[in-house]
Amino acid sequence: MFLDEPVLTKNIPGCGPLQDTWGKAEDRTVTTGKTYRDRGGYATLENCLGMEPSAIIDEVKNAILRGRGGAGFPAGMKWTFLPPEDGQPRYLAINCDEAEPGTFKDRLLVDFDPHLVLEGIAIACWACKLDHAYFFIRGEYPSQAITMQRAIDEAYEMGVFGGTGLLGKCDFKVDCTLHRGAGAYICGEETGLLEAIEGRRGWPRLKPPFPAVKGLFGRPTIVNNVETLAAVVPIMQKGAAWWQGIGVESSIGGPPSYGTKLMGVSGHVEKPGVYEAPLGVSLKCLVEDYCGGMRGGKGFKAAIAGGASMGILSTDQYEAEMDFDIGRKYDLMGLGTACPTVFDEDTDMVAVARNLSRFFKNESCGQCTPCREGAQWMFKLLSRIEAGEADSNDLDMLLELAGSMGIMPGTTICGLADGHNWAVRTVVNKFRGEFEARVRPAKTALQGVALTSSANAI
Amino acid sequence: MSWTVKPSRTQEITKRTEPYLSEEAKAKYEKDLIPRYPERRGALLPILHDLQHHERCIPHQAMVEISQFLNITPGEVLDTVSFYEEFHVEPVGRHVVAVCQSVACEACGHAAVLDHLKDKLGIDEHETTADGKVTLLALECLGACEKAPCMLRNDELIGPLTPEQAARLVDELK
Repeated sequence: MFLDEPVLTKNIPGCGPLQDTWGKAEDRTVTTGKTYRDRGGYATLENCLGMEPSAIIDEVKNAILRGRGGAGFPAGMKWTFLPPEDGQPRYLAINCDEAEPGTFKDRLLVDFDPHLVLEGIAIACWACKLDHAYFFIRGEYPSQAITMQRAIDEAYEMGVFGGTGLLGKCDFKVDCTLHRGAGAYICGEETGLLEAIEGRRGWPRLKPPFPAVKGLFGRPTIVNNVETLAAVVPIMQKGAAWWQGIGVESSIGGPPSYGTKLMGVSGHVEKPGVYEAPLGVSLKCLVEDYCGGMRGGKGFKAAIAGGASMGILSTDQYEAEMDFDIGRKYDLMGLGTACPTVFDEDTDMVAVARNLSRFFKNESCGQCTPCREGAQWMFKLLSRIEAGEADSNDLDMLLELAGSMGIMPGTTICGLADGHNWAVRTVVNKFRGEFEARVRPAKTALQGVALTSSANAI
Repeated sequence: MSWTVKPSRTQEITKRTEPYLSEEAKAKYEKDLIPRYPERRGALLPILHDLQHHERCIPHQAMVEISQFLNITPGEVLDTVSFYEEFHVEPVGRHVVAVCQSVACEACGHAAVLDHLKDKLGIDEHETTADGKVTLLALECLGACEKAPCMLRNDELIGPLTPEQAARLVDELK
């Protein structure tokens, strides 16, 4: 599946399939405010200012734009959760934390087309009547923070933000502030992100209340991903019906997967990078027609579907469609950020599981015991299995531990532990033979507390 | 990791007479940062970034000064400082070189890069060379997986790297 023309990467060459004419990645430069406007940028915002805010929300809702940050929650729907205006400030928090291993798609937008994101931000603020947008960018993106700050400054000069009102054409004024994180994966969780903007440690909050009701500084707040906001611009320019013409319907009776998606492919492929493709494109097509095939002509073994926490696709799932059905169809948590990391036939899957587990162990914020303690244990067990020092009971214990932590078993506040759980469990289940070959048979059967049943009792 | 508990009762805090937050810096924060947030505390992360950049660490004395400036307790500042990986209580080297160790980078050979740098610098990860020039870190995903194996050299994301290229990039640092 291919797009007729680039949508989100209109100003970013080199994001199409191999044989396309979308330019070369070497020719990428940052699109300045002036260039962006000369190419028709901010015209969509101007049109939107002539519309009723509720009509914009309806259009985005009708497009069924599902969030691009990982959870896939419909953005238009999220916007309707805001309470009625009460004259006090309301906020937009833009999630550019992007710390999920394998994910680097938002960086592309910030690096090369920051004004597309800013236009989306301005439209969202107008539609939802949000007074201040906080652009939260991860600490590991220092040069991107500089690019974004420059773009925000340009947008202020062009009158998009600040002044008397949006584009100087209405009396609704929006401010935009760049806020840098400082190296914590958990701040990509929406409420952890709010804590970080408030200057606190990034511990996720209990929900409800949801951020739309009580978010930043206790006020209603919408949290959206960078790519989601960028996608609002073409939707408002060309309409919901056009957006629905891209992508696929669900093949299992679920909600549809419409629109284009930035897919960052990494790992053992010839040309890793971010590509723009319609949702529903198969992983095989992405690897072969966009990335030039597996590196060195090796065979495909596995791929992390869309960011470390989503789980892994096995060798026979190479043709999996990259859409929001992927979770239910291929036993994964979901599509995530649609940024697959691909592994070739020589990859040691035990090492992959150990690496993923170490990530979640290091990034656990420490708030909930099952995640803080469980993550350490899972990493230790996996390290033991990798070193050949474990027995088969350890493998069972690993799976039991994994299944006991997360929102789904009901033992943690946020989904970080679910990510750890799915990442490890899917690798072990789909490549069990490799794990069994590394462990000794146990001398006695595993005796102990049934972790999962006690977890259910909570 | 936020739950690491360190004995604080017996800890010596070194003090200097010159404040870390100069009047000039405070005036700048008051003008540029404070109005951006509805609560003064919102300016905490930007101030910490500024200090980390200039002092290469956030000393305890500075935490006290920041707390007075933002009307919060020193403990709250310490809480935030100790949670985030990029803030250091002890000074880091003049240059920070962070090698990514997450899944795409490991699959593409980060270990050879990291080991080569360790050998070359004669330090382990999360250590600083004796001359205070380079701090070597192994961090989780830097968000540049298409450049795997990659590293963050001060503000620059660079990759894909061979061990020799990585060593050359570190050599170039003054």
